[in-house]
Amino acid sequence: MPRDFLLLKVFCPLFSIHPYQCYFISFILLGRFMANVSNRQVVQELREGNRLGCKHLIDLYQDRLIGEAVHLFHIPLPDAEELASDVLLTVVNKIHSFEFKKGDTDFHYWIMTIFRNRIRDFVRHRALTDGLMEYFQESAFEENDEYSSTEREVVAAIVRDYEESLRLPDEEKPADDKDSVSGKLQVIAETLEGMETWERVLLRCRALDVPYEEIARYTGKTAKQLKVYHARVKKRFMKLLAQHYPELTIP
Amino acid sequence: MKRDAIDALLQLAFLEATITTHGLYEQTVAKKKPVVGTSAASQAALQKKLEAALVSREVTGEVPLTVGAYLRRNRAGQSLRAQDIFSRLGLSANVYRMLEQDRISPLRIHVESWKKLRQFFHLSTDALIEMIRRTHQLVWFRPSFRTTLARYDARKNKAMKASTLEKAARELYTKAALPLPPEEEKKLTSLFTAISEEQ
Repeated sequence: MPRDFLLLKVFCPLFSIHPYQCYFISFILLGRFMANVSNRQVVQELREGNRLGCKHLIDLYQDRLIGEAVHLFHIPLPDAEELASDVLLTVVNKIHSFEFKKGDTDFHYWIMTIFRNRIRDFVRHRALTDGLMEYFQESAFEENDEYSSTEREVVAAIVRDYEESLRLPDEEKPADDKDSVSGKLQVIAETLEGMETWERVLLRCRALDVPYEEIARYTGKTAKQLKVYHARVKKRFMKLLAQHYPELTIP
Repeated sequence: MKRDAIDALLQLAFLEATITTHGLYEQTVAKKKPVVGTSAASQAALQKKLEAALVSREVTGEVPLTVGAYLRRNRAGQSLRAQDIFSRLGLSANVYRMLEQDRISPLRIHVESWKKLRQFFHLSTDALIEMIRRTHQLVWFRPSFRTTLARYDARKNKAMKASTLEKAARELYTKAALPLPPEEEKKLTSLFTAISEEQ
């Protein structure tokens, strides 16, 4: 801030404004865009029923959640806005059930868990109404010629299985498999288990847009190496995944 | 972000909690600068919604409350006029006034109005049902409350009256917990079923 103040001191005489006045104006204007509050403060305000807590919560999370929903999970903007609003509404309603255990970031993790569950519900709903197949075929394979028809078939089979498990009424779901929906995606986890640790981390994290630099800190490889290997690791993953579907693999 | 079939599959697995990033994704989101800028109108609308939820949560946290007490408190809290509410609920001014004073049975209010009220105040169905039950009990047992009311009403001093009114209200709410006759219970149940039905 002192540096900003010096800058203002230089530029303000040009507009005949006193630096203090200008500093005050810029502080107000910046305050509109920057929520300079901690998660703990937001939680306390919401618990006390302070309306300012709602504003701070919005400033901290609304744009962030909408951005993630739109750019990462490819949810249309109006739906993303509604989804983010739903998440924040849940936060306000359930704030008394939240507890800080480790630190200030607990609140962020809690919100992200609610957000993930809402996105999952949205995807499940889309799978039941429009179906995910079309979505996968149109957007996921767009301008992507490196996948063979067999590999596309494998992806289609997984998505089909997932959709079918969603359509099953509760009473028809197998008793030994508590969550048959996620069970249908178990093949992905099993395939990842068959890869090296750094490959697993790379695939999982890049799918969620974690920067290479961040992944490099956990894998012992440089960001540059990871960038180069990423496409190869994907190809290997696809081949391993296809092995789980021998009936689709052309001899 | 460019979408790829493998990434999409892995995202699906992440959403279904089949795979995890051990918090790395959440950390990344915390560090990211938001790329979407919502309009001021959208932010204001959301803020209003959250504030209403905050008020409603405070109120539902102090059950039991009647519909009248809830309406009075919310109207004061949100600086609303009576006509702002009754026109939106599809009620006449007189009926709304009686409702606010807990002088009309909830059974005499149309289901659609209850649904509108729930939507208007962002109330949960359970909270609304609980309030309706309380209000109906209060109205139903009102004759038996007359002695209580008379006792508190006898205080002529205005300041004293205000302080004792709170006590009177508490006493009335306690009495309102009395079980209703089966036929009244039946009517209430059918009203609750209608309210619970999705729009």
